[in-house]
Amino acid sequence: MTIRRLLGVTVATLWLLSAQGRAAEFSIPVEYHKLSNGLKVVLSEDHTAPTVVVAVYYNIGFRIEPRNRTGFAHLFEHMMFQGSENLGKMEFIRLVQENGGVLNGSTRFDFTNYFEILPSHKLETALWAEADRMKGLAITQENLTNQQEVVKNEVKVNVLNEPYGGFPWLDMPQIANTNWYNAHNFYGDLEDLDAATLDDVKSLFRTYYAPNNAALVVVGDFESDEALGLIRKYFEGIPSAEKPPAPDINEPRQTKEKKSVKEDRLATRPALAFAYHMPPRNTPEYYAMGLFDQVLLQGDDSRLNQVLVKTKGYTGSVDGGINLLGNMFNYNGPMLWTAYLFHDKNVKPDQIIAAVDQVLNDLRSKPISQAEFERALVKLRSNLYDSMSEFFGFGRADLLASLALFDDNPARINTLEQEFRKLTPELLQKTAEEYLRPTNRTILIVEPKGSSGKESL
Amino acid sequence: MRERILIACLVAGLGLALPVRGQKQTPPEGGTPKDFTLPEKSVFELDNGLSATLVPYGQLPKVAISVIVRTGNIDESANQVWLADVMGDLLKEGTKLRELSITKASPESVTLELFRKLLYPGHPYGRLFPTEEMLKGYTIKDVRDFYARNFGAGRTRVYVCGRFEKPAVEQAILKSFEGWAKGPEPARKIPSPMAKRRVEIIDRPGSEQSTVYLGLPVVAPGHRDYIPLVVANSLLGGSFGSRITSNIREQKGYTYSPYSSVSSRYRDAYWTQFASVSTNVTGPALKEIIFEIDRLQAEAPSEEELRGIQNYLAGTFVLQNSSRSGIISQLAFLDLHGLPDDYLTGYVKAIHSVKPEDVRRIAKTYLRDQEMTLVITGDKSKIAEQVGEFEKAWEKGSD
Repeated sequence: MTIRRLLGVTVATLWLLSAQGRAAEFSIPVEYHKLSNGLKVVLSEDHTAPTVVVAVYYNIGFRIEPRNRTGFAHLFEHMMFQGSENLGKMEFIRLVQENGGVLNGSTRFDFTNYFEILPSHKLETALWAEADRMKGLAITQENLTNQQEVVKNEVKVNVLNEPYGGFPWLDMPQIANTNWYNAHNFYGDLEDLDAATLDDVKSLFRTYYAPNNAALVVVGDFESDEALGLIRKYFEGIPSAEKPPAPDINEPRQTKEKKSVKEDRLATRPALAFAYHMPPRNTPEYYAMGLFDQVLLQGDDSRLNQVLVKTKGYTGSVDGGINLLGNMFNYNGPMLWTAYLFHDKNVKPDQIIAAVDQVLNDLRSKPISQAEFERALVKLRSNLYDSMSEFFGFGRADLLASLALFDDNPARINTLEQEFRKLTPELLQKTAEEYLRPTNRTILIVEPKGSSGKESL
Repeated sequence: MRERILIACLVAGLGLALPVRGQKQTPPEGGTPKDFTLPEKSVFELDNGLSATLVPYGQLPKVAISVIVRTGNIDESANQVWLADVMGDLLKEGTKLRELSITKASPESVTLELFRKLLYPGHPYGRLFPTEEMLKGYTIKDVRDFYARNFGAGRTRVYVCGRFEKPAVEQAILKSFEGWAKGPEPARKIPSPMAKRRVEIIDRPGSEQSTVYLGLPVVAPGHRDYIPLVVANSLLGGSFGSRITSNIREQKGYTYSPYSSVSSRYRDAYWTQFASVSTNVTGPALKEIIFEIDRLQAEAPSEEELRGIQNYLAGTFVLQNSSRSGIISQLAFLDLHGLPDDYLTGYVKAIHSVKPEDVRRIAKTYLRDQEMTLVITGDKSKIAEQVGEFEKAWEKGSD
């Protein structure tokens, strides 16, 4: 919850679709290759600006990290910056910065990614550096201990020391899911983070950080043939590894509503979240839920915002979506559609849920009008374009990497919109009945125990 | 002591000998830099004084639109804090009290609030949050009066960036805004911020970390030392590879996301170092921050270190001008500060012309730690002693 304070000026930014008629003609160039060692390579040229995005996605997310090592997939992500064969600690970071670039990495449900955005003539430098750390790491106990402290501070600043820390993005999967893989604390219990050893680092790297378990995406101002040559030069010699067996990450069908209360000693106002299990990825029902997300939750015109904000005045906004740590495309397993809001003490959770039920009952009992369907499609397309251009083309790389890694088909980027167009009123109806059932729902209530929460309201 | 893991077996698999330490490969340089030109803009003004800037940009069929009115919290009096926000959010009436309560529960907010109050006594920049009573007291008349005094076409700029049909957008701007009155001129309330050493602790019992703001007023955009200051800041604490981040994060593990920045407003700027550090190392973390400031004041950085930062700033400048919203915010920055277009075209050259000795001089002239304000939010019972010891050493060091 940060509130932007603009002293001196007030700024209102609106994102609008331009020239709607032309939108359908727009398509993203996609070139897809697989190296002999199994590395998936996606190239997508865009000569708008002299910059390039290099992103490496490994098919290891926090969902399947070792059971006695919660938070380890993420701690490991930090280790990838601590030294490789030719780049010592801080040298990777300095290499990117002194070549005019920015970099980061992140750990999500089903992948860990590393990326650089640089002036385009530095493409080779970035490819060399990513290949260097894909070949192997050179980590000391001192570096591991240092990053254990850094990560514990990360958990403190984002969760433990903040009001509403972990609400609902970290809390909800833990209460809505039943399978450990989907339901553990993926930021990590502090004791588990402390318990990690160099052997753990070694073992995770050996198991998951092989080229045949990764996708490399390049987006931006480059020539595809030249880039592919460089990629072969630096990556093709890295040996593949035997893939580990995939654990069973399935989530059983939920048949009874769940409710959980969290006391937050730092919060000053109550908050409420509710989540529904999503249909399996890429099914017609999944796209139907993507459309419902627009109809119900995204934007001021959405039904939940209209009712809970405008009509009832319970809250200032209702937020959320599919996969709170990304979007509806960049995950590969059970997922939740989650909505959340902050409210006052004089509004009771039951009142809010009654209003939500009314909105959802309405959706289940009456078909969506053609006009509302079209409006949802416009919002979907607009969001898709936004996420593609997000962060200087990184958003496009993220989408391409996910579609390569999970579907082996990055060209799907150009047909996603059509999947939503195919939806029929019958299918929407069927999806609402099965997936927006109250018995498929988990409710999370935050009770504020912070000192200023004792004040009025 | 570096322990090699995995390298041995992987390299053996490639049929190569284990590389000898010290014979590391040098990263490839890459190709030749491509030209970067700022996107072309066109500017026009309506009869009522409203100006519009149009920038065709990109391939995606989207546009970004910003309407910027030269007003804000700067135009609030001491008993009107957030009136500008209430006016801007009219449709979301009733949420402001909750927003205030939730915002003030976060340690970053209350730390910055006190930091600003100490830096800008009696000025709107020093008033970050209203009281509950103040918020409850605002009437629709207050809101209307605020609008009448501070809104109008004459102080408004419209920016459009992306893919659009120019004549249609020009017509739309004309039609939408030509009926708007010119309105009053913006007031110019230029602050006189305080540069004075102070240490304040906000007690937050049970706090897991100490939230720290340390800083002082500096020169504003347009001043000849502003760009050298931006360079010095990036090298000191304003980037991932910077000295303070390397020290308190990558060497000591005291914190996750420390950063320093130059925060600017019209004819005003301040420098701050921010960090959320573990409670038990609050004193040591502060000591290291001051150590790095003093080191930069005493000794010019190497050519190599400086060049790395200059390349970083030149590269990120290209990025800042390579997205719809980024282009708008660069142009709005020029317009707000009254800077000429060649500020942007000459920016990269200005960055590269900074010399190592300039960086030292800038640190000495502007980052005077003996005049810095320090605000810490944390568990007083656990940090008072550490901070006391730090303060003693700090005073001694600057004698």
